[in-house]
Amino acid sequence: MPFLSHGSYRIRYELEGPPGAPVYVLVNGLTQYAELWAAYRDALVARQFRVATFDLLGQGASDKPALFINQDDQVAALHLLIGELGDGPIFLSGISFGGLIALRYAIEHGKRLAGLVPMSCFAELSPQLLLLGNAMRTGLILGGTSYLQDLLLPMNLSDQWLAPLLDKLDSVKRQGWLVNDVYALQNLMESFLDFQPLTPQLPSIGVPTMIMNGEFDFLTPRALHETLRVQIPNSSLVIIPRAYHAFTLEKPALTADLLARFADDVLAGRWHGNKAVWIAPEEAGGELIPFPTGYDHLRAIPVQGTTT
Amino acid sequence: MSGFFGPLDSEGRVPPRQQTRVAAFLISAHGALARQFAFALPMKLESAWQTELNAQFYHETEIVSLLMRATAWVPDLALGYMAASWETAWFPAPLEGISDRPLALAVGLATLAHAVHAGIRPAALLPVEANVHNPFVMALRRVEFESSRLLQAQILFLKGPDLMPCRDAVSSALEKRHAEIRKLWAETLEGVGITIRAGNDEKP
Repeated sequence: MPFLSHGSYRIRYELEGPPGAPVYVLVNGLTQYAELWAAYRDALVARQFRVATFDLLGQGASDKPALFINQDDQVAALHLLIGELGDGPIFLSGISFGGLIALRYAIEHGKRLAGLVPMSCFAELSPQLLLLGNAMRTGLILGGTSYLQDLLLPMNLSDQWLAPLLDKLDSVKRQGWLVNDVYALQNLMESFLDFQPLTPQLPSIGVPTMIMNGEFDFLTPRALHETLRVQIPNSSLVIIPRAYHAFTLEKPALTADLLARFADDVLAGRWHGNKAVWIAPEEAGGELIPFPTGYDHLRAIPVQGTTT
Repeated sequence: MSGFFGPLDSEGRVPPRQQTRVAAFLISAHGALARQFAFALPMKLESAWQTELNAQFYHETEIVSLLMRATAWVPDLALGYMAASWETAWFPAPLEGISDRPLALAVGLATLAHAVHAGIRPAALLPVEANVHNPFVMALRRVEFESSRLLQAQILFLKGPDLMPCRDAVSSALEKRHAEIRKLWAETLEGVGITIRAGNDEKP
């Protein structure tokens, strides 16, 4: 298990795939750990990518600072990892909290990236997200990691995914409960206490950017992704059908396929963001469809569009 | 060596030798916290925050009482010298660099309590097959759950405005306390066939 050193702390990472190949770096969500990207490692390595995964400070097998975790330290840790990956093309993707860290990295070190894929992401705390975050933090404090998982599972995953697991949810939650400590998760959440919106800095992200948002994402709904689409110049928004916030867990084959296609398009010079809005296919390998002209992609009912 | 208790018996109970060693460590740690909270607790409360001191004292006492009654004790010859090293580790360690002596002592106690409540996770040693109706299994779950609740007082205090001027010193002292206590915990477990990562201080 290799580690990087960031000050007195260690960052655990994994690297797989052919040396010299374009690299995908995948950044965990708040309660996640690197092993959850296993299906992505397999799928992307099979398509001739190298894949780097790691545990953020406070997560999994990386060190867990006892009192404070600063988001700048997470970006610095990510920069250390990317520094280990050679001079080839780097594609950076992250989900939710990891997407936010990826955005911050792209703002600070965008020149090092060939492409960026924020998933279920946000650049600012809307009132709903702020209050949901506060409620989740309170849930963690009062009920522990297990209760936080109980809140997140139904909020972020579909009935289709949950139904066959209803009688074994404890085993689904167990690994996350084992590797995550309450105080470390709390420190990660409290890294938002002095959070400043990234929105004013988004136009500085010059790399090709594919923003991915689940159709039914309740935690970070479409409007939060729309901010990214509007503000990041060479971006497009891809809506994942029938998907919730944690679609990377629920639809790994489709998501990995979209990641690979995005990188292939960028490397072949075919990518044109154009701030377009797309609907992803239901299954890996299917066609992306442009969002119907004239309709508002921010609405859940077919209303004539007024947005740009 | 395993990362969990075991082998369990046919009724899903943790081996008594492991119960004894783990319960002794936890009683020593939480007992020390109970004593130190008791010394810090005035007979007559003068400030609102002292109500939390009262709560911490009684919760620590409850944990000690629970473990004494829920554990299947067996003789353990190693406990004598191990307990001596544990008790030494819990000695009050006022934070250096704070001239206000009562505040320095309070920070020292809070770092110890934070390290015990946050860094020691006895329920994470239970394998999935452990019998949830067994008192020792239930006691460990309760100790871990209560610890995460008790921890909040230490977090509020150590992150609070009074300690902002010495934030780096507090963080450093806390990391040191965590490292010490996790090392003791790892050594305690290793003696009964359980291996855990000792924490941030262990080098790969």
